[in-house]
Amino acid sequence: MRISKLPEIGTKYEIESPKGDKVAVIFLTTGEIELYVLEAGAEHPSVTRLTSEEARRIGSILTGAMLTVEREDVEVAFSDISDLRIGIHMCPVSERLVGKSIEDLGIRKRTGITVIAISRRGQNIISPPPETVFEKGDLMVAIGSLDQIKACTREFR
Amino acid sequence: MPFLVDLAVVTVSCLALGLVSKYLRQAAIPAYIIAGIILGKSGFKLITSYDLIQWLGEIGVILLMFYIGLEFNFKGIKEPGTLFAGCTDFGVNFITGFSLGLLIGLTLVEAFILASAVYISSSAIAISSLIENKRLIYPEAETVVWLMVFEDIVLAILLVVLTSIVSGSLAMIPVSLAATLVLIVFILTLFRRLSNFISPLFERDDEIPILLIFALLFGFSAIAYLLSISLHCHISEVIVAFFLGSALSGVKSLKWLLGDTIAFKNLFLTIFFFSFGMLFQFQFATLSSAYFILALLALITLSILGKFASGAIIGKRLHGSLETGLRVGAYTTPRGEFSIVLLAVVIGTRTGNYELLVSLVVAYVIILSIVGSGFAKHGDRIGKAIMAGINKLLPLAR
Repeated sequence: MRISKLPEIGTKYEIESPKGDKVAVIFLTTGEIELYVLEAGAEHPSVTRLTSEEARRIGSILTGAMLTVEREDVEVAFSDISDLRIGIHMCPVSERLVGKSIEDLGIRKRTGITVIAISRRGQNIISPPPETVFEKGDLMVAIGSLDQIKACTREFR
Repeated sequence: MPFLVDLAVVTVSCLALGLVSKYLRQAAIPAYIIAGIILGKSGFKLITSYDLIQWLGEIGVILLMFYIGLEFNFKGIKEPGTLFAGCTDFGVNFITGFSLGLLIGLTLVEAFILASAVYISSSAIAISSLIENKRLIYPEAETVVWLMVFEDIVLAILLVVLTSIVSGSLAMIPVSLAATLVLIVFILTLFRRLSNFISPLFERDDEIPILLIFALLFGFSAIAYLLSISLHCHISEVIVAFFLGSALSGVKSLKWLLGDTIAFKNLFLTIFFFSFGMLFQFQFATLSSAYFILALLALITLSILGKFASGAIIGKRLHGSLETGLRVGAYTTPRGEFSIVLLAVVIGTRTGNYELLVSLVVAYVIILSIVGSGFAKHGDRIGKAIMAGINKLLPLAR
């Protein structure tokens, strides 16, 4: 992929397929995004101008899921409620937490996140009740805002 | 409140003519200048305070140069391709304008100003044509936008040199140059030191950031003015604005303010084009003389050919294709805002001594911004047509 700066216009990302088709994405300084497709041998490119929201939707279709993955964290965005982001955080349960229940630890109270699943020796506990006790080797899955997830990794790591 | 009437005349007439030109898909700059000519000193004399409108217009020029400085990319310009393209563009088109200026009997300084005005293409028209014509995926789009950036830095240099030359006696030229350079170096080093301190001020969401921008702009312009007075030389506040912009371009938090700055720039720049037309002394006798018309036609023809020639050289060297080069030529043909800004900054309103030159450049810019937009709009067709012509004429050369 070629990245080039076009002063006063924006930034251009360009790839060429082995067949010679070219696709360029241009992030305009106005905040809109232009998508160029130039088929090999074609006289004129096809161009469409997208809002950042539309571009994100196309992007998530192309990546195969409505998700953005950041290491063990996953963020889910909804196409109809653009400002709603839900973070899903997956982490192994640390030594400190073993033998204590979700309620004892006050995970929800202290960090705001909700534990939605525990993976235990290949078995999944979906929506574990608050009295569920963590065991060694558990994987915990929790949801919350990105800030809450950050608070959680700080508290319990 | 007479100034409200003046402001109403300016904004309403520019709005009306601007809308018409956008509707006709033409460049709006000549429309604003023509509005000024019709309603100003040469026309209906509807303005009561020419000073006020002129001052507001000067703010537009300061903001334009500040914005260009802010967006200026020193790194990209050092690319060998950009350097080659920029130097070819300057060499061919400046020399064309300069020799024609001497040929029609202008003085050396006048020919220098004419050449500068003829050399500089209109970034606004070239860039909007590239987007509208869907050319951004082609390699020549990059060449054209970088050419525009290169022309910006040349404009800054030309302005430093020209304002110093025109400012007064021969002996004052080195003083003006030196004072300007000292002030530029001072600004650049000052903001390198202060950037950590200033950056958080731009992040506030009240009126402080925009106030700070204008305080810096007016503050340094005032310093340039006061220095000029005390040293009896000339330091252009426009140059100061350009370098203030490039000094601040490193401040990341300024990005949030870019939209506001552009909005102010667009408003005041429109008033500037109006004020330029408003002060233009329209002499029908001069404009209709055979000598003037011949000179104008020669200027138009040669400068169009010049851009196509430089474009062809650039295309052949950078892209290995004459046709790409001809498209570069077509996109850089329109002249506009910078030629007028250069003229206004260098000569100001002293049209007395420079009447022929000013009339020539104004007529030239009005015609070439319209004709040139046509060239830019049909850039690919023109490139193809010229190639077809060349192939027909030179069947043996292939």
